[in-house]
Amino acid sequence: MNPKAILADDEKELRLYLRSLLAETWPELEICAEAANGREALEQVEAHHPQMVFLDIKMPGLSGLEVAKKIAKSCHIVFITAFDQYAVEAFDREAIDYLVKPVTKERLTQTIQRLKKQLAISSEPPAGVMEIVSRVLSGLKPQAQADFLHWIKVQQQNNIRLIPVDEVDYFQAEDKYTLVMTKAGESLIKTSIKELSQELDPNQFWQIHRAILVNVSKIEKVSRSLSGRGILKLKNRPELLTVSRPYLHLFKQM
Amino acid sequence: MTVNFTKGEINIKYFLKNMVYTVIINTGIAFLLSLVHIADSFPKAMVISHALGICIYTIMISLFWILKPKKKIFEMLIVAIGIVGGILTGWAIASAVLPRFLSIPIKTPEKDFLQTVTLGIAFGLMCSFFFISKEKLKLSNELIQEEKIKRLAKEKEALQANLKMLQAQIEPHFLFNTLSNILSLIDTDPIKGKTMLTDLTHYLRTALSRTRHELISLDQEMEMIRAYLNIIKIRMGDRLEYEIRLPEGLRSHVFPPMLLQPLVENAVIHGLEPKIEGGRLSIIVSETEQSLKIEVIDNGLGLCSGHEYGVGITNVRERLHLLYGEKGHLRLEENRPNGLKVSIEVPA
Repeated sequence: MNPKAILADDEKELRLYLRSLLAETWPELEICAEAANGREALEQVEAHHPQMVFLDIKMPGLSGLEVAKKIAKSCHIVFITAFDQYAVEAFDREAIDYLVKPVTKERLTQTIQRLKKQLAISSEPPAGVMEIVSRVLSGLKPQAQADFLHWIKVQQQNNIRLIPVDEVDYFQAEDKYTLVMTKAGESLIKTSIKELSQELDPNQFWQIHRAILVNVSKIEKVSRSLSGRGILKLKNRPELLTVSRPYLHLFKQM
Repeated sequence: MTVNFTKGEINIKYFLKNMVYTVIINTGIAFLLSLVHIADSFPKAMVISHALGICIYTIMISLFWILKPKKKIFEMLIVAIGIVGGILTGWAIASAVLPRFLSIPIKTPEKDFLQTVTLGIAFGLMCSFFFISKEKLKLSNELIQEEKIKRLAKEKEALQANLKMLQAQIEPHFLFNTLSNILSLIDTDPIKGKTMLTDLTHYLRTALSRTRHELISLDQEMEMIRAYLNIIKIRMGDRLEYEIRLPEGLRSHVFPPMLLQPLVENAVIHGLEPKIEGGRLSIIVSETEQSLKIEVIDNGLGLCSGHEYGVGITNVRERLHLLYGEKGHLRLEENRPNGLKVSIEVPA
């Protein structure tokens, strides 16, 4: 029985190209299906049970790495990448098969030799690929930072405007609403100061008062009032903000 | 702060200029003294005042010139020496000049001398204060100026760096995927392959060579964007539709390079490419009386595709701010029903 393979790449021309290269270098290989995104790739693997999958890393839906995590136990995987340095370094280290775009015939021939050898020994895919892929995936994920709020959505007439949090000078509670103060002006949002304080990066926004969250990078200076409270001056803003006593420790001298 | 006269560079011009001030002050003092009848007569007051003032000034300045004091204590010492030395020589000159040339006798030398001493000390201190604070003012003005120049240079640097960074950002994914496509098209559809190679060449040339141009025409910018989108269109196939609406009258309008391109690439890379069914991209240029507005609208994934979106936009925003100050705006809105709408507004 001829070995079966699936090609997964979101670009049609590149699937075509790889197909023609494979026809030349491994005529016996049967391409049983093509997939244009991660989800299709998963479906096709389940439907056809191929011995191997040529998997582009950057695909819509699910990335090639995410697909690989799910199918690594059932078939051989050859990753294809245009430029994923981090992944490529890991693949080199862990001796995982991969091709770089544009795929050359020489490199493809080498990969096929290895695949043939592996298939001759056992039809089972090499063990441990799933773990390696998981490690690469977790290394690729943007660190914890991604979990914080990066945009404030503000309703303006019929539109929803997005304000990057970096641009916010401070938030101030105003009755049931919260005022978002930026250089360009002020807007009202419904999220409370309490909710915001939990969603924003605590290293970027400090609560200095029951009703105020301030962007640390916008602080110009802090001084002490006669009554012992802190007075905050922000860059490019005329108004002064009060730091109430419970939050004064934030400004203790280093 | 110590006053460093050497920083103010004492030279003949400086000496003469300040001599004029000294003479004016001397005359003023003489006037004042004769007005309140402390001096016997105006000519007498003039002679004493000038003799004293000029001597004090000359001695003080010469000492500052020669010794170049760095410490406050030495400055004080020089002021003291100047005053004492100036009084003695000034008095000697005045008492020689007065009887001989103006026939004004020194009737009561002790009383006159005492008066002169008081006058000298008052004058000396006043002058020293005047000159030293003038010097200080000049010095701090220079410092402020220096700071200002430094700050401006820094800002300019930041702007340049920012531009360079944006220009250097030819996405490797884009480059290698495009090259793969061309390689494949050479076999399957050579004419399409040729077009793609031409577009890539155009894109690369523009992206790499813009460093020196601060402003280009909107038409030029759009040509590059069109080249980019043509390439993406071949790669994404039916998944991408795009339109560019640039009114005829705005084609030659000048515009800074690399403000629009990052927004278009953002929309493609983070909005449309990762969306399974793809989507539509519109670039719309319009003009009001005071401003030029460019909208980049996509119906892709929108902001859920993560915070990467922010970096490119923050860069554009910073550049816009550096170029136009408060007059350049960048707005982000959610597009209905999905995707993102980014608009740039600059003064017309």
